[in-house]
Amino acid sequence: MEVAMEEANDFSRCTFSTTATMDDYFACALNNWEQSVADVGPFSSSADADDFHDLVESIMFADDVDYDPSIGHFSLPQSPSYNSNTSTCTPVAEEDEHTGTATAYNDAKGLRLVHLLEAAAEALGGVHKCPDLARVILIRLRELLGRGDEGTSIERLAGHFTDALQGLLDGGRMSLHDGARHHHYNKMEVLTAFQLLQDMSPITKFGHFTANQAILEATAGDRRIHVVDFEIAEGVQWASLIQALASRPGMSPPHLRITAMIRSGGSRSTQETGRRLAAFAASLGQPFSFSQCRIDANSERFRAAGVKVVQGEALVMNCALHPTTAAARRRTIGSVASFLSGSVDLGARVVTLVEEEDGEGEETEEEQGKGFVGRFMAELGRYSAVWDSLEAEFPTQGQARAVVERVILRPRIAGAIGHAYRAEEEEGGQVESWGEWMVAMGFGRVSISCFNHCQAKLLLGLFKGGYKVEETAMNKLVLGWKTRRLLSASVWKPPLPVHLPVMDSFEDSDFLFD
Amino acid sequence: MFPSKKATTMNSSSHERPPSVCVQGDSGLVLTTDPKPRLRWTVELHDRFVDAVTQLGGPDKATPKTIMRVMGVKGLTLYHLKSHLQKFRLGKQPHKDPNDHNSFRNSTVDLHRNAASSSMMGRNMNENMHMMQMEVQRRLHEQLEVQKLLQMRIEAHGKYMQSILDRACKALAAESMVNSGGSFKGPAMATDSQLGAPIKELSSSMSFPSLQDLHLYGSGDQLDHHNLDHSFNFSPNSSAESIILGKSKRHSPCINVNVNGRSPLLGWGGALGPSSVDQEPSSKCDQLLHMALPVIEAGIEVNPMANVYETKPMLSLDGTLTAADEKKYDGSSSSALKHDRPSPQRRAPLGMEMISPMMAMPQARNLSYG
Repeated sequence: MEVAMEEANDFSRCTFSTTATMDDYFACALNNWEQSVADVGPFSSSADADDFHDLVESIMFADDVDYDPSIGHFSLPQSPSYNSNTSTCTPVAEEDEHTGTATAYNDAKGLRLVHLLEAAAEALGGVHKCPDLARVILIRLRELLGRGDEGTSIERLAGHFTDALQGLLDGGRMSLHDGARHHHYNKMEVLTAFQLLQDMSPITKFGHFTANQAILEATAGDRRIHVVDFEIAEGVQWASLIQALASRPGMSPPHLRITAMIRSGGSRSTQETGRRLAAFAASLGQPFSFSQCRIDANSERFRAAGVKVVQGEALVMNCALHPTTAAARRRTIGSVASFLSGSVDLGARVVTLVEEEDGEGEETEEEQGKGFVGRFMAELGRYSAVWDSLEAEFPTQGQARAVVERVILRPRIAGAIGHAYRAEEEEGGQVESWGEWMVAMGFGRVSISCFNHCQAKLLLGLFKGGYKVEETAMNKLVLGWKTRRLLSASVWKPPLPVHLPVMDSFEDSDFLFD
Repeated sequence: MFPSKKATTMNSSSHERPPSVCVQGDSGLVLTTDPKPRLRWTVELHDRFVDAVTQLGGPDKATPKTIMRVMGVKGLTLYHLKSHLQKFRLGKQPHKDPNDHNSFRNSTVDLHRNAASSSMMGRNMNENMHMMQMEVQRRLHEQLEVQKLLQMRIEAHGKYMQSILDRACKALAAESMVNSGGSFKGPAMATDSQLGAPIKELSSSMSFPSLQDLHLYGSGDQLDHHNLDHSFNFSPNSSAESIILGKSKRHSPCINVNVNGRSPLLGWGGALGPSSVDQEPSSKCDQLLHMALPVIEAGIEVNPMANVYETKPMLSLDGTLTAADEKKYDGSSSSALKHDRPSPQRRAPLGMEMISPMMAMPQARNLSYG
């Protein structure tokens, strides 16, 4: 809480010759919200629901943003709960009157959007579910936001989140489409946008390269390497591994075999990926073979027995849980858990894990809390950081960013929100961090080498400031934008077989430790 | 070339191989017949020297005087022995045991008397400095290693991404040809020039109100759904739009983006920095983008997106550098400023450092990625 306060103060002290980043007023908004909530009182009793309603009304229908020339900044209308905090949060226009006023206006608007979004999430999935209120708030948001790709960054971001919430409202529960309007972009579009994202942000490459380097180190002397991949997608991760193996100085390349997991219905695209990888490997002169292993359709469990193992090969398992569009739906707890535990049966040498990270450090846990609203705000925070990072790196390529946002990030947002909503519904919770799960299951840590860390730093060095990599644990590197953690890559060693029970007959909830 | 030449001349002068014959004098010493006679330390003589030194208790204990006495070689002067002893001591230095270090230090007092040898204390400090320097050098070397490998990995990554796009594009082209009776063969062979003009047109037309209307039209929610629910198809809708935008060519689904072997969307993450808007967009990426984006969106986004990739990173996979690229490289080589945003030739400093080794060996990479 204190930290958030500090951020709010910093926010007001910042120079606003450029638009404040969304993270700033997001944090400020959160703080503001907390304060106002505190003023209103705890949500537990129904009497306060009315206050909440009033509060929301005041936010929503506060149309008139007053420009006070004497102070030189916009101020939100004074509602009782906003009094103390308005001044700290409303940015003061700086030297240049024109840009100052424009940015001030934008910031105030951004703040309001965030408030509205949180209110909508609260109405939709919070303690007091009130779908009608949510509906009204969303309509209001839509009014404020105008249309699709226009508008400032935060307007676009807010738009996507609004749509995601709308989808939840419309699509009902347990929707197959992750509760959001499902835009079926054609493959070319998706691929191009994906490539754009790869180039504009180091996030994906960070995950790939760190995992690959760990694999290379773990299998340094081996002549046969076998990688079992949880979710191969397009196989992009393996391109650089193939290259690295093919060009190791002083020795002929070892044989690389990749086994990809396939789920029901995914066989064709995985085969295509295999062909592509084989062609790529051939072009580099890297001995390569590809095979597939089906995840059991009914139980969605990985079966170690399904993987063909050859004598004398070094087996590693790769579990890259990058945020992708349909991923949240596919990666049931059971499938991931059974995959990770399968590493024990297979006698894997290392298990590389890449997963999304949450939050800004310790204090966020208490602030955000679990539950749908907490998750919603966490996702809002995360994507505002992503938005910021793209904007900071490529400020002039607004349209390019808009495309990436729309084609790649928007479905992810919808997926994440839908996932959070369903998880809330199911009351089974979710595994927040697979790394922690692995610790609990007795996996050992494999330290990240100096080379790996150095490589990550150099990768980030290709971008402008703002990205950071930190070694939060001996075996884990975390990539973040400013203060917000985005993605982590960690390396693990499976425990000895004797410690783990057979995973076959377990339910999803058995994999959770709370 | 020049430096190596210089080296050879230096070598020849330092080796002192005079054409004249070496004469063996009475004492058994070999002297050159140069104007300035110099002593030749033959193997035999050196062995005797080493014996004498060992007898005397090592190079530290031995002094030129005592060596001379022990060797008993006529014609051997103190001067000869002084210089040879110094060289001997220096030569022994790296191989010295850590154990010997103490004895080494103890003999400091003795050796101070010897004017020819440098101060041992100074040498110790030099050693430490040397070691630190070596450590720093080692680290730098390591970092360079990492840099090199990272660069190759990024390239492989990009190349693979490109191959995915190519394949998808071809699949799409095949599909569309089946659908529309192969009427797209023409545009499929579009070259730079053909698309260059429409692109300029597009960029200038960005301010036209009609485009804005189109955009609004296109991004209405319902329309989005309908148009994007199908795979990329050439519906009458799209042709209408393209007429408005004056770009019928944009229907071509698959344009060979690798005409020059350059991958438009390849490259450094950061090196694909925001280049200045006023530069000529690369038509390669525009082609690709034309393929990829649904017609509605493409109208607005194509050109600015092109700007993202327009200054092609030098490290295109086949290593070929066009004249334009080289020029840009030269221009920007001095500014390794990452934050020099307005500069049209912005490159991350890392990219700059890495460019030189890659420029040096384009051929090798041709082979590996051929």
